[in-house]
Amino acid sequence: MSPADTTTSVAAPVSASRAVEPPARHRGALARLVRAELALVLGRRRNLVLLVGLALVPLLLGVVLYLAQDTALAGQGPPFVSRVTGNGLFLVVASLFLCTPFLLPLTIGIASGDAIAGEASAGTLRYLLVVPVGRGRLLAVKALGALVFAAAAVLAIAVVGLVVGAALFGVGDLTLLSGSTVPLGDGVLRVAGVVAYVGLSMTGLVAVGLFFSTLTEVPVGAMAATVVVAVVSSVLDQLPQLAAIHPALLTHHWFDFAEMLRVVPSADVLAQGLAVQAGWVVVFGALAWARFTTADVTS
Amino acid sequence: MDTTPTTSRTRVRAAWAVPAVAAVAVGVAFAAPPLLASADSAGLAPVQPDELVARVLEAEPQALSGTVVHTARLGLPDLSLAQVGGADPLNLLGGSTTLRVWTDGEARSRVSLLGTASEYSVVADGTQAWTYSSSDDEVVHYALSAADAARAQRLHDAAPTPPADLPTPAELGRQALEQAQQDATVSVDAATKVAGRDAYQVVVKPTSTTTLVGRIVVAVDAQTWTPLRVQVWSSDDARTPALELGFTDVTFAAPADSVLTFTKPPGAAVREVTVPLPDDATLAAHAEQSSALPEDPADAALPDGVTVTGTGWDTVVEVKDVDVAALLAGDPSAVATLPDVEKSFGGGEGANELFDQFVGGGDGPAVDLDTSALYDQLTTPVEGGRALQSSLLSVLVLDDGRVLAGAVPVDALRAVAGA
Repeated sequence: MSPADTTTSVAAPVSASRAVEPPARHRGALARLVRAELALVLGRRRNLVLLVGLALVPLLLGVVLYLAQDTALAGQGPPFVSRVTGNGLFLVVASLFLCTPFLLPLTIGIASGDAIAGEASAGTLRYLLVVPVGRGRLLAVKALGALVFAAAAVLAIAVVGLVVGAALFGVGDLTLLSGSTVPLGDGVLRVAGVVAYVGLSMTGLVAVGLFFSTLTEVPVGAMAATVVVAVVSSVLDQLPQLAAIHPALLTHHWFDFAEMLRVVPSADVLAQGLAVQAGWVVVFGALAWARFTTADVTS
Repeated sequence: MDTTPTTSRTRVRAAWAVPAVAAVAVGVAFAAPPLLASADSAGLAPVQPDELVARVLEAEPQALSGTVVHTARLGLPDLSLAQVGGADPLNLLGGSTTLRVWTDGEARSRVSLLGTASEYSVVADGTQAWTYSSSDDEVVHYALSAADAARAQRLHDAAPTPPADLPTPAELGRQALEQAQQDATVSVDAATKVAGRDAYQVVVKPTSTTTLVGRIVVAVDAQTWTPLRVQVWSSDDARTPALELGFTDVTFAAPADSVLTFTKPPGAAVREVTVPLPDDATLAAHAEQSSALPEDPADAALPDGVTVTGTGWDTVVEVKDVDVAALLAGDPSAVATLPDVEKSFGGGEGANELFDQFVGGGDGPAVDLDTSALYDQLTTPVEGGRALQSSLLSVLVLDDGRVLAGAVPVDALRAVAGA
């Protein structure tokens, strides 16, 4: 009997019996699984390299702007970048602005696409299924791991941006896009709002990645598909002919974080952006659950 | 599993039903609110057109804050301006633009034109105004000179001037209704809902058949009689309005003081522009003119070199001796030689500010858009000159220096020019 046959004969009865009547679960199994998953996600060398890569963005941007601030090139560049030299807080916003279209989705696509497919390709998924925790809960733990990584990715940019910005340019009262100036405390809160909004904007992509991850045993496929969804979404967002579906696109509201920097942030705009993410999370979360709880796991 | 194939298959099917139900639920959740909001408002008492127009003209300006969406489908070549730069008034030429509006109903207001990560704000406070562009971090301060400001205050005390700023739905609607009483039929259409509020609809249909303007529809709030939406339909396109300016959400309450005040952000470049106030005699003449409805535009005192042909919706304005090439090159002296009428627009102060900004005011930085390339892109060559044809307005620039404009097709302009 080959190992593969053993797995099938062991795993299948487990899932079938669970469907009929939930077995008595060992106390603390879920908590142990969560701890193990977080240690895996945050301790894996590849993930750490990704986080360091993201953290380098505000560092490089800050150093380049610092060196160029007295040259003729000062005050030029995309939105927010030109304001960094005046107030270090803007380094956080400028770095997020530069990372949101591609670098951030790429990193998050890698982590969430790997969540299930990575275990399957390494042959460890069947051992996870032996843990006395239901498949639904296992999926939730994997989702939690991917979400924690997404949060870590956004925070890596934000924290390094804040530290580098404060060290190189200092922080002060924040000039909003509307031309009004708010005190430092209010400014920090608004920038924190930007960071929170960007982080929550990535939840839909995490759900998409998790679903693709349940479809395949090839992690690279799931990662690529996740990134492709983000890229295709932003391409469709550029086509005026598709204006009718734009509000529902995954990436359409990503840049609405700028709302936090207007004189009166519109709660409607922010809520709309988060509601769209919630919609993607519900649909793709349900798809991932349906796939993962019914699939025959053979590796 | 082999022993219970039916149970397993049912279970699989039940599991996959969950995402299907979730997708439907999410779809309904997103589609339902707009459908409910646009539901019929049958509860409105019927109203006669004349009564409605009178109510709107009488209505006090309201303190309000809201979001306005401006959509232009003028049939101009796609300039993709929004993607090149940040928020800029040029965006209003085409596509959809979102604006936020706050006003206290009196002298103070703020209009913000929103870009993806940028904003262009116009803050007006009585006789002075500021614009702030987040893309180039520049403040432009428009104010009267000290002597003029004192005089303006006296004039203001004597006769309150109507608030003027960027065209809000309120402003545009009033203009349309005033003009409607001549040369057009005014009727009341079925009640509708705009920004979640019950609204009457006034339809102004020009009696002329040559004009490019098909009809103008103004939706008026049933409670405050504030115009909430203006649609201008071209006679070419019966499906979508060529120009639409309407609230998507509005609150009738005084906005916070911090919104209506403007303080220069530290580090921003400031450009001071002193707006000249015409002398008392001109003002008096102007006040006289505007108090009476202009029955015949030709009667009004016109600057030299400007002639007006036709009446009502077919009016064609002709300006002689315009050096287009010098204007495009941004030569201020070319602007100075223009007849006065060119520099005052119906849109009030806001439009003039915009014009000033595009012309460059002389001392400010030049407009960094290649204006002559823009001109070539917008216009098409015709016999004897170039023409700009949009779905509502045509402009004919002739090689002999004459410029004709009107809400009529280019052929009609050429007929006027040839006559």
